[in-house]
Amino acid sequence: MEKAKISAYQLFILIVLFELGSALLVPIAIEAKQDAWLAILIGMVGGFCLYLVYHGLYSYYPDIPPTEYLQKIMGSFLGKILAFIYVLYFIYLSARVLRDFGEMLITSFYWDTPLFILNTLMALLVIYTVRKGIEVLARTSELLFVLIFLLGISVLFLIVVSGIIQISNLKPVLEEGIKPVLKTTFTQTLYFPFGEVIIFAMILPYLNRPAKVKQIGLLAIGFSGLILASVMAINVSVLDVNNITRSPFPLLSTIQTIEVAGFLERLDVYFILITVIGVFFKMCLFFYASVVGTANLFKVKESARLAFPLGLAILILSITIASNYSEHIKEGLHVITLYLHLPLQVIIPSLLLLIAFIKNKKKKRKQSKNLFPKRKYRLVERDKK
Amino acid sequence: MSYVFIFKTKESKNDRKIQEINNQNQSNNRPPNLIESSLSKNLEVIKQKTGNSSDIIIRPLKIGHNSQIKIAILYVKGMVDNQSVNDSVIESIMNNQNLSEKLIPQDVLEVLIEDVVAVGGIKVVSDWEKLFTALMSGETITLIDGISKGVCASTQGGQRRSVQESTTDVSIRGSKEAFNESIETSIAMVRRIINNTDLWVESFNIGKMTKTEVSIMYINGIAKNEIIEEVRKRLKGINIDGILESGYIEQLIEDQTTTTFPTIYHTERPDTVAGNLLEGKIAIFVNGTPFVLLVPALFIDFFQSAEDYYERFDIATAIRFLRTVIFFISLVGPAIYIAATTFHQEMIPTELAIIIAAQRESVPFPAFIEALIMEITFEILREAGIRMPKAMGSTISIVGALVIGQAAIQAGIVSPAMVIVVSLTAIASFATPSYAVAISARLVRFIFMVSAATFGFYGIILVFIMLIVHLCSLRSFGVPYMSPLAPFIREEAGDTIFRRPIWAYKKRPRLISGQNRVSQGEDQKPQPPRTRIMKNTTNVEKGEPNES
Repeated sequence: MEKAKISAYQLFILIVLFELGSALLVPIAIEAKQDAWLAILIGMVGGFCLYLVYHGLYSYYPDIPPTEYLQKIMGSFLGKILAFIYVLYFIYLSARVLRDFGEMLITSFYWDTPLFILNTLMALLVIYTVRKGIEVLARTSELLFVLIFLLGISVLFLIVVSGIIQISNLKPVLEEGIKPVLKTTFTQTLYFPFGEVIIFAMILPYLNRPAKVKQIGLLAIGFSGLILASVMAINVSVLDVNNITRSPFPLLSTIQTIEVAGFLERLDVYFILITVIGVFFKMCLFFYASVVGTANLFKVKESARLAFPLGLAILILSITIASNYSEHIKEGLHVITLYLHLPLQVIIPSLLLLIAFIKNKKKKRKQSKNLFPKRKYRLVERDKK
Repeated sequence: MSYVFIFKTKESKNDRKIQEINNQNQSNNRPPNLIESSLSKNLEVIKQKTGNSSDIIIRPLKIGHNSQIKIAILYVKGMVDNQSVNDSVIESIMNNQNLSEKLIPQDVLEVLIEDVVAVGGIKVVSDWEKLFTALMSGETITLIDGISKGVCASTQGGQRRSVQESTTDVSIRGSKEAFNESIETSIAMVRRIINNTDLWVESFNIGKMTKTEVSIMYINGIAKNEIIEEVRKRLKGINIDGILESGYIEQLIEDQTTTTFPTIYHTERPDTVAGNLLEGKIAIFVNGTPFVLLVPALFIDFFQSAEDYYERFDIATAIRFLRTVIFFISLVGPAIYIAATTFHQEMIPTELAIIIAAQRESVPFPAFIEALIMEITFEILREAGIRMPKAMGSTISIVGALVIGQAAIQAGIVSPAMVIVVSLTAIASFATPSYAVAISARLVRFIFMVSAATFGFYGIILVFIMLIVHLCSLRSFGVPYMSPLAPFIREEAGDTIFRRPIWAYKKRPRLISGQNRVSQGEDQKPQPPRTRIMKNTTNVEKGEPNES
């Protein structure tokens, strides 16, 4: 781990940008049709629960990254294997984000440019940033968040002014009952984007005030969930359900329908700006987690040195991961959720929390003479710093 | 990261220290260079050391009873104030009654110091090195036969440029004075603004050959001790032949050299220096240049001018917003035009797109080449304009505006729209308050243009993010360069692209100033009188209180 500290406010912004990252790009929860926003909100509640699980693990081991505490919980051998699986998982996810993004650029703007070139540029930028460390990434996020925020507000304003919102498109609510909504939640929105906050388990040890982590994290997930839900609701109300199921990038289609005062039209550049910034942060965080995780697991002293080789691996992976966009999306929505997200985001962390709980209870019983339980004492001590 | 950084510099500083110690040892190995007691021998040494330079004046005198004691007065022509040398030194010695009595040389020395030489700064030196430093810096030396010491009287003077109006930091409101080349004058100008004993000055002589006087100035109790210590350490580490301008110091003490952005601020204005000192910054004065350095410098400092604080806050805020927009235009102006016309034509309103297309029909080059031609032409014009004698200035503008602008369009080399874009960018780059940051924007602009030409808006955004990452990774004397925007500090963000009212400056910047952060009292906000009695003067005289 590098000697860096990030503030609670920076964590908030990082989580928000991370959640919005590629979720703004692709159609999420579209199986729930006009109730997509509801599926996102329920997913958000599930996200709260998952975050509490990750935070629970963090509060047992506030100073070390998951790759290390996995070994403490599961034993050295099993823990190392699990940690390695998680690192691979992070690498795979960042390759997926890169592919999503590259495909978006090709389908909507750069028809003749090879995917490899577009991805290479983004990967180089991400490598450059990760080499600078988490502090620089956090500071960058503070600046770009303001930009995204302003863009978002102005897009909302333009959409409202151009009068393309039709609330009737959102009706009827719960046409086929709550069942399809819940199904969408548990097959999709819970894991993507909310369950992916698991990578922040790698970031949390850098926080300068650990006592605030829980509150800030929940706040950030809630904030981003609300934004995602309202963006999806606006998309549906502007485009109507039939169009949106056919659109690969609903937000882009929505922005393209804006027309104000006869000359403010085709504002595609807004979409490029928002998605490039969002995807940049999402990739950076995944990539940073995998670099730091690898460094920690294999005892590499300077994690920045791993940025280039791992970045190259991610770049190549992002190209070879699927032979075309439909395959890529199919994998993402059906295969990954069941075989990767569900076990790695939900089952294993919950089990780990359970084991950690039992282990620490045993310890506590042993040290029952101590006035303070060790965990709480530690938190208080670090807060004073 | 910062830890690592400090550690590294410590290491290199240690190396330098070792070198220094070695150098000192070498000089200690030489025979001790003390002044001897024989005057003729001493004069011989001086003549030999200075190569008998013709601007060194040696004036022999005889004093005492029967004029049996020989003394000599030495000074460098042009470096001294002639009047004080004549009146306070030579004349006083020749006319003084005490000196014509029976005296032994030892007494002469004492009498000289106590009764005769009518100059404020006086000191006695006994080794050659100090004597030569004093002589070369404009002091007048008196040597007495039979005594192995010299008396130095500070008679510095000579012709210097007078205090004039600033030519680089021009302002409409506020003090018009600017620093000049003399370090004493410059320091005094700041002292005149901050009348406080806590304004401390430390001096160094830097440069093996030039021995340039360099002073740091800070307000004790406001400036952070760690930063002062770091500045001292970096200045002491400098070991080069000569310091000719503060730019030398700047390049030798900055945190990171691989960046086009300035991490040290320089200014010509005493009020800017005073304002920054009050925030806890440290000023570095260098003899021989009117440009004073200020550290630590933040990115946002380069977009502020002293005048912002003299105008009311709403106006100043509006102007600062304008400057942000200006900086943006000067960075990405041509790049956006290139991207829009080459990749994203659908973004331009249809009528305009048709007009631009019609204009570009006759132009044989792609938009990027077109922009490059215009940009380079403009850079040539600008570079020529700077060093052109004033009388020829109008020639340049005629050649620039008419011949190149108009004729290039008629010849079909560039399109009129491109001329508009490039000229707008050029004007924008002049409107940035700091030349140092405007010139780096000029460089970065070309990177933006290349990226726009190859990947359109995607390229521009990527380079833009990279620029921000780069800026966020910079530090100036350990302080993050983009603060207080990133890391965001709420109570200080009011003085960035906004300018909060003066009465709202309750605290000094946290990262720059040290422990003592309260800068003004409570309730500085002006309020109208609570009673209306003020109108009626008789009531006020009766003693009606109308405090707010």
